[in-house]
Amino acid sequence: MTSPKIDPPKVDAPKPDPIDLAVFQSAVHSIAEEMGAALRRTALSPNIKERRDYSCAIFDSAARVIAMGDHMPVHLGSMPMSVQAAVNAIDFAPGDIAILNDPYAGGTHLPDITMVLPVFLSGADRPAFYVSNRAHHADVGGAFPGSMGPAREIYQEGIRIPPVRIVRSGQLDRDILDLILLNVRTPQEREGDLESQIGACRVGEQRMLELAARYGNQKMHALIDEILNYSERLVRAELRKMPAGSFTAEDWMDDDGVTDTPHKIAVELQFNPEGASLRVDFTGSSPQVAGSINAVRAITLSACFYMLRCLLAEDAPATAGILRPLTLHTTPGTIVDALPPAPVAGGNVETSQRIVDVLLCALAQAVPERVPAASAGTMSNLTIGGIDPRTGTPFTYYETTAGGMGARPSLDGISGVQTHMTNSLNTPIEALEYAYPLRLRRYGYRRGSGGAGQFRGGDGLIREIELLADAQVTLLAERRKFRPYGLEGGEEGGAGRAWTITSRRPATSDGTEEAELPGKCTRMLSKGEILHLETPGGGGWGRPLT
Amino acid sequence: MRVAIDTGGTFTDCVYLAGGELRVLKIFSTPADPSLAVIHALARIEAGSELQVRHGTTVGTNTMLERKGARVAFVTTAGFEDTIAIGRQARSRLYDWFAPAPVCLVPLELRFGVPERVSAEGEILRLPTEEELAALADQIRAAPPEVSPEAIAISLLFSFANPETERRVEAALRPLGLPISTSHRILPEFREYERASTTVVNAYLAPGMGSYLSHLEQRVSQQHRGGRVEVMQSSGGIIPARLAALEPVRTILSGPAGGVIGACQVARWAGFDRIGFERIIGIDMGGTSTDVFLAASASGGPQRTGESIVAGVPVSVPMLDIHTIGAGGGSIARFDAGNMLRVGPESAGADPGPICFGRGRRPTVTDANLLLGRLDPDTFLGGSVHLDRHRAERVMREGKGPLPTAEDFAAGILRVVETNMEKAIRIISVERGHDPRQFTLVAFGGGGPLHACSLARALRIPTVLVPAMPGALSAVGILLADAVRDYSRTVMLPGENIDQLESIFFDLELHTVEEFSAEGLEGIADRSLDLRYRRQGYELNIPYDPRSPKHSIEAFHHLHQQRYGFSDPRRPVEIVNLRLRMSSPAEPYSPPFSQPEPGDAASAFYSERDIFFEREFMASRLYRRDKLVPGDTIHGPAMITEYTSATVLPPGCSARVDGYGNLILTIAEETA
Repeated sequence: MTSPKIDPPKVDAPKPDPIDLAVFQSAVHSIAEEMGAALRRTALSPNIKERRDYSCAIFDSAARVIAMGDHMPVHLGSMPMSVQAAVNAIDFAPGDIAILNDPYAGGTHLPDITMVLPVFLSGADRPAFYVSNRAHHADVGGAFPGSMGPAREIYQEGIRIPPVRIVRSGQLDRDILDLILLNVRTPQEREGDLESQIGACRVGEQRMLELAARYGNQKMHALIDEILNYSERLVRAELRKMPAGSFTAEDWMDDDGVTDTPHKIAVELQFNPEGASLRVDFTGSSPQVAGSINAVRAITLSACFYMLRCLLAEDAPATAGILRPLTLHTTPGTIVDALPPAPVAGGNVETSQRIVDVLLCALAQAVPERVPAASAGTMSNLTIGGIDPRTGTPFTYYETTAGGMGARPSLDGISGVQTHMTNSLNTPIEALEYAYPLRLRRYGYRRGSGGAGQFRGGDGLIREIELLADAQVTLLAERRKFRPYGLEGGEEGGAGRAWTITSRRPATSDGTEEAELPGKCTRMLSKGEILHLETPGGGGWGRPLT
Repeated sequence: MRVAIDTGGTFTDCVYLAGGELRVLKIFSTPADPSLAVIHALARIEAGSELQVRHGTTVGTNTMLERKGARVAFVTTAGFEDTIAIGRQARSRLYDWFAPAPVCLVPLELRFGVPERVSAEGEILRLPTEEELAALADQIRAAPPEVSPEAIAISLLFSFANPETERRVEAALRPLGLPISTSHRILPEFREYERASTTVVNAYLAPGMGSYLSHLEQRVSQQHRGGRVEVMQSSGGIIPARLAALEPVRTILSGPAGGVIGACQVARWAGFDRIGFERIIGIDMGGTSTDVFLAASASGGPQRTGESIVAGVPVSVPMLDIHTIGAGGGSIARFDAGNMLRVGPESAGADPGPICFGRGRRPTVTDANLLLGRLDPDTFLGGSVHLDRHRAERVMREGKGPLPTAEDFAAGILRVVETNMEKAIRIISVERGHDPRQFTLVAFGGGGPLHACSLARALRIPTVLVPAMPGALSAVGILLADAVRDYSRTVMLPGENIDQLESIFFDLELHTVEEFSAEGLEGIADRSLDLRYRRQGYELNIPYDPRSPKHSIEAFHHLHQQRYGFSDPRRPVEIVNLRLRMSSPAEPYSPPFSQPEPGDAASAFYSERDIFFEREFMASRLYRRDKLVPGDTIHGPAMITEYTSATVLPPGCSARVDGYGNLILTIAEETA
């Protein structure tokens, strides 16, 4: 499917000098960061204000991403699609803000709600830029509190919002907001978070207007073109260094939460150093599945974007130019390019990580000295929802727990750290317990879970949460059967696991009962029960020294 | 008498007022015991009794940078011993597969858990028993000698909500005889990792700083009857040494904070705040490190931050926003394994010092400057230190690696170190969306003026200000800083209670006025509130006026709209913290001003010498700064030498002396 493209305005400005370009790149990047800071500092839900589960980005008039805050890599390739979807659906006027979350129209999974604000320069009838932010809401309705449960259809995953205007000419559309809020479990928190997103868009708008005033329209367009070209040049320079040829890899998802059948993700990387280009082909990946681990194409594109971005130096800009040398082939109706009404909650958080694992496994064959072994490969998503006895109102808690990083050629993997497609922080225990009827019992390293090797994989984490109220607990995790791979003779990382601990005779330490939990499940647990979660370790690199 | 003494890696600067004039003395630092130089300086200026020594110390910073702090035992709630290492679970570099593991100051063997728990509401759910506390003490005592702890940091979950358990644990560990830092005193705020990290840093610094400061104060009071010592805090205010010894985490950026205050003050005097805004970038290059900062806000100076990372470790007490890199005059140059030239962060310091000082064996930035003619051996420190050019040349020739000549080596060293400094300035300007071209570079420290023009060129900064006494500006800032004490109380009240804060403020103020008057100070109280919408995670600091408290709420909505793009007067507001900043202003001082008269600096000219610029040596004129008069203008290639520093002026650049004796440099773009 191709979207109608808007041609960027043609301008003949002198080529910007390197200092101008560096200043401009940093300025737009810092605007994206500032939007993120505004969002974090004003949001209500711990997942946004403490864990920073959001992304902010700046786009040019043709909806090409020109800057993205250092937030969540899984949003790299998918936010541009949100902006494009909004542009396609809405004839924007000044003061409008679009909202959307439909994975089949610019979204990734329903909890990620995206806002898009077109920036109009004074007197212009078309936007000169778009600023956008996306935040993961701890509940968007549906069958399971937290909206990350083992659904069979997207309709069970929560409210679906096509690109619509939540703000029209500067006025909040209360009808749209009320419609959304009526469909979620924690409407007050959602309203506060959505208001923060609107505010963050406006911060971005204000800063972009200031920037445009400083540079002037013509110079700004020249800078934008140059920044996109610059990203492209950087990627092409790397691709020229790659060995010519085709490299393939495959790995498996444990199951889809509905049946026990594993599902394959297969990739072929074709490097063409002469043309400085790369073709990525996911032919051979499983057809889309009944459970929620389907990834829409935007996610697969994000994973490719992420891999390319990692080949560049840390300070290179993440712009649309990075994707220019890339040809991506996916088959519609597969697990890496899902079609409606497949459920997709886990595609964004679980399958995305496996896609990266597969891409890196293939890349390691091309440039073994540049690629780490597999990291945890799961975000170990935990959602808990119920009624908070302290207030009598519903709560929904969402958190991902880090695992071990894969060992690097020359370095051990880091223990207990977010890898690849996510980089959300943990919820401080002191924020978590203030906000939810939960109590942390334990939070520490899972020693020995990193894969052995010349360089060891990082260890996973252990987290134990006691429920202070009856609640529905949903787990969405991977790497139980198929463990994170090692490279060059390094061993696999330890598999993830989880169980509940129920006290049969209170006040004694040995009178407890443990019940193993599958990777993807939902359970009604009672007050006093404890959830014990262990995340996978990273794979090792190189044969262990004996 | 009030004397400011700022210890640097190489020099110790001493600044004081005598007869309405600022005087400066610069002597070598004594790194093994920095207090020796302080005492020595006081003797040299013949400081009498009733002496007030204001100290800027690098003991804290250096300890962090060199990782030479105490072995810290970390005590936390059982089950959470690893949290000090896990941190926030996020990686610092998003797209770097080869990022090193994050720093944790507490080794695995020294993380201890105590069975206890406090709830989010501050209720004690479980107290450790006497036996458990005794067992904890035994465990800490039993640590193998090679890791045996030298300090203890206690940070329990929810200690900010109820400090009782921390107090008990502290009491139980007292008998171990180690300095103890407790989180409820150091940073009584939520977010356990940041609080614990800040507490650990305090413990890490405490033994060294404690003994240093008490030793210093003892000697000062012995030799100067009634003498007392005060210390510059990272937040830009002065506190008594006694407090600094207990909370050394507040002094990590002690000297640099003085530089910020000094630079902002000088920029104001020089008229760089015409529209009420300073737009300065400061660069302070000393012997071991370079500090950079940016002030673009209203004339109060640069922003403070409560989210600093110092040498890779989060420190959440408020500080001025200063970025430090390990590049100074004493930074050692070496070729790394790949034969790439590296400069710093290791420094030759004062001992052995650069090669040209006569003892060092490893090439430094200072040696490179000397070889390239950018230091005048005859006038360096008024001629009191002889710079041995031949020695430097000989040793550098031996160590020049693959480069053809010692001069090429020297030029390479300068290029590398200047690139590092340029990058540091980019981080605080360009990367935060500020265009350096709209700023004035205030260059100070012994090395700042040497490198200012080429940095300004690289960053397209049009104007550089080299203050009078650039080598002692931090000390000037310390001398002129206010004595400041910050107090806060967490209240967590609904916004409707805004009218009922008076008694709490009154209590807080009573206590602080007592503390201040005990030190013979008269303070001005500045009251403010940290407000947020209910359930937000961050607050905005809003001034509080007792005559119209409700105004704070209106101001909050207004600021929230301005800063975050929305506000909602109907939404409930929460009063999180009450803040009281007591400050006692330093005696006012205005520098003498003389009307500039156009001149050509002829009377300051004293010699000619070849100086290396960009690609070649060029005949350059040398001027003595102390002979320059306001209005004199000098054109590059030239060098202006003075007691503490030298300003190098490349061809195309010019320097003008303003009415306060500052050099205002105009930077020409490099000729192709």
